[in-house]
Amino acid sequence: MTTTTTPDSILKAAGAARPAAAPRPTARILRRQAVPYLFVLPALVLLAVFKLYPIGSSFLMSLYENVNGTQKFVGAGNYTRAMDDPLLWTALKNTAIILVVQVPVMLALAVGIAVALNSTLLRGRAFFRLGFFLPTVTGLVAYGIIFAVLLNTQYGLVNWLLGLVGIGEVPWLTDPLWARISLGLALTWHYTGYNAVIFLARLQSLPAELYDAAAVDGASAWQSFRHVTLPGLRPALLLTTVLSTIGTLQLFDEPYVLTGGGPDNATLTIGVYLYQNAFKYFDFGYASAVAYILTVLIGILGIVQFRLLGEKS
Amino acid sequence: MDASPLNQPPPDDPPQGGLDRRRLLALGGSLLAAGAATSLLGACSVTGATKAGSLGDPDRAAITVWSWQGPAAAMKALVPAFEAQHPGIDVTVQDIGNPAIWDKITTAMAAGGQGLADVLHIGVDYLPAYTEKFPDGLADLGPLGADRYRDAFADGMWQTVTRKGKVNALPWEANSAGFYYRADLFEAAGVDGEALVTWDDAIDAGKKIKKKTGVHLLGIDKPASQPDAANFFQMLLQLQGTFYFDAEGRITLGSPEAVTAMTLIKEMNDAGLVSDLAGGWTALENSIKSGTAAVLPWPTWFGSIIEGLVPKESGKWKVRLPPAVKPGGTTAATVNSTHLAVAGSSMHQAAAWAFVEYVLTRPASQEAIYRTEGIAPALLQAYEAPVFHEPSKFFSGQHKGEIFLNALKARSPAVNYSADYARALKTVDDAQTQVLLKGADPARALHNAADQLARQTGRELAS
Repeated sequence: MTTTTTPDSILKAAGAARPAAAPRPTARILRRQAVPYLFVLPALVLLAVFKLYPIGSSFLMSLYENVNGTQKFVGAGNYTRAMDDPLLWTALKNTAIILVVQVPVMLALAVGIAVALNSTLLRGRAFFRLGFFLPTVTGLVAYGIIFAVLLNTQYGLVNWLLGLVGIGEVPWLTDPLWARISLGLALTWHYTGYNAVIFLARLQSLPAELYDAAAVDGASAWQSFRHVTLPGLRPALLLTTVLSTIGTLQLFDEPYVLTGGGPDNATLTIGVYLYQNAFKYFDFGYASAVAYILTVLIGILGIVQFRLLGEKS
Repeated sequence: MDASPLNQPPPDDPPQGGLDRRRLLALGGSLLAAGAATSLLGACSVTGATKAGSLGDPDRAAITVWSWQGPAAAMKALVPAFEAQHPGIDVTVQDIGNPAIWDKITTAMAAGGQGLADVLHIGVDYLPAYTEKFPDGLADLGPLGADRYRDAFADGMWQTVTRKGKVNALPWEANSAGFYYRADLFEAAGVDGEALVTWDDAIDAGKKIKKKTGVHLLGIDKPASQPDAANFFQMLLQLQGTFYFDAEGRITLGSPEAVTAMTLIKEMNDAGLVSDLAGGWTALENSIKSGTAAVLPWPTWFGSIIEGLVPKESGKWKVRLPPAVKPGGTTAATVNSTHLAVAGSSMHQAAAWAFVEYVLTRPASQEAIYRTEGIAPALLQAYEAPVFHEPSKFFSGQHKGEIFLNALKARSPAVNYSADYARALKTVDDAQTQVLLKGADPARALHNAADQLARQTGRELAS
């Protein structure tokens, strides 16, 4: 690893700061200026090796196609093929459904939970905060498998419990519509607490004077939520919306573990489709092109959201 | 894959001013996160250049073998005898699991053979894709001495393992389509299982069995939770001498034979004869243990699985070749085979070949494997061993080994899996799900599947 050389250079740079070892003032200033760069160097090298290089290399790959084992340059061929690929459009549609249905529901829930957790009326707040945040630290695949077991049509706990109250078997993962609902439920369970914590942090920084002023003006609880809390949450709303959008567009683990993208592609996401193309069909060029399309989409959506939700002041 | 918002920068509380710069930074961060999606792929360099291996010392080497479950156990059992014969060779057999082994081989091949084992166990569904997409991924076994076994294996096997004169692997197991059934349930419904001539007869029998015993005729993974959900459909195609591709590699998913096969499946499903095996292997095991289906239309290797799962039902089961699709049609089809290959990047190809040769070309090895794991060999000479001709207690005294041997000896048309088999299988799975869960018209679902496959692969549709 190239980074192992860095501690030496840092030591040398640190040694240069000793008065006895200082030869010329200009060299000393130069070295001193180099220190911060040396400190960020390890991170930069790692970023370059593990992020920038693959990002560049996969762009090159997206311009090639494997024909009988040899790489053939096809230019934009993989990209034009993507435009005409019904499965990619299905994946985009599924992602859009999650974005429009699951993300707003999850964020609304998170705001509600954050407000409740912030309330002075609530006892045992630490317990509830921990409870809501815990799902977030559960491993993605682990919780996916647990949900798959719970939601199994014939042997799952959920259907067994429903059976006790007289509700028949629900095809949680085996019916296209129910599979989408199950995926949404799993995502909401996993990420609501995380977003609630972001909102909570923001709520705690809202000055109490604003609420006092609202009370003096005779605002009801709803009015002070509507006119004090929500505007105050705006930066946090922007952050969580953008993060959730990126997370949704890159969604892979949950559908991969729960449904494999099925049934009949009802839960196929761009991430799963990309994976299938690369590692099931050995179509690395096309998969790279899909990855780049995904990147552009995330960029565009990010900019749009910043424009729409950004501070208007 | 960094899909989780957890991997994003921690949310600190943005101060009132200076939001623009923060926003810019955050946006930059989000773009970087997006880039993370692409970096997954870039991590493997797919330049097609495979690290060149070498023959190595044929008598001194440490070699690794990748396989899965039963076959891995069978090879492990052969290692001591092999090492006694080749004292300088040290063999490690690793059970990678199936389907995990395909991802592992694929990524290693894409990385130019880095980290690949010396000996690889590869199924017929993956072999053509590996040899086509990674032409140097597997060593040519011809110069190592494989050519002398050209006629040692069942009909059609040699074509499967060779491509343009290169011997990519040696055949191991050859599985013929089978029809395992609960003779006691058939009897209770007054049906003679041995007398079924066509699948239409089987459907009639299924209706009687369902009425008398409440048990389904067979099970299918209807939402296709696993890629092999189309196994039964694929077998019905092979019983008609067709497949997803013809010999020239054109797509035949919309053929009349395919429509016939899917229509049969729809007919069974509409009559309530098909239980749902959603959930893959575990669901299948559970279904066998709880006896939800009277017929298991699975190939040769499946017999020992049934014996292992429900040993108490010994004597209640029977086995035969599947009924034909049309009267007078064939009942013999080699539905899959597996093979041992030597990695092109292996530094011990000679020693690896010695192990492959020991496992696959010695009748005694294959006899031992059949005895413990029930894996039927492609090596014809192995069938001279008495174990293949003994009556099976579990299968009501039938000569199970001979039943499948007869199928193996019948001429079975060569099947072109092509490099696009995985993609074809996925579109077939989807079409079957549309038919079984959404009531789609078989012909229409298959034609759509054929069109989609043609667009994805650039292959022509067979007229």
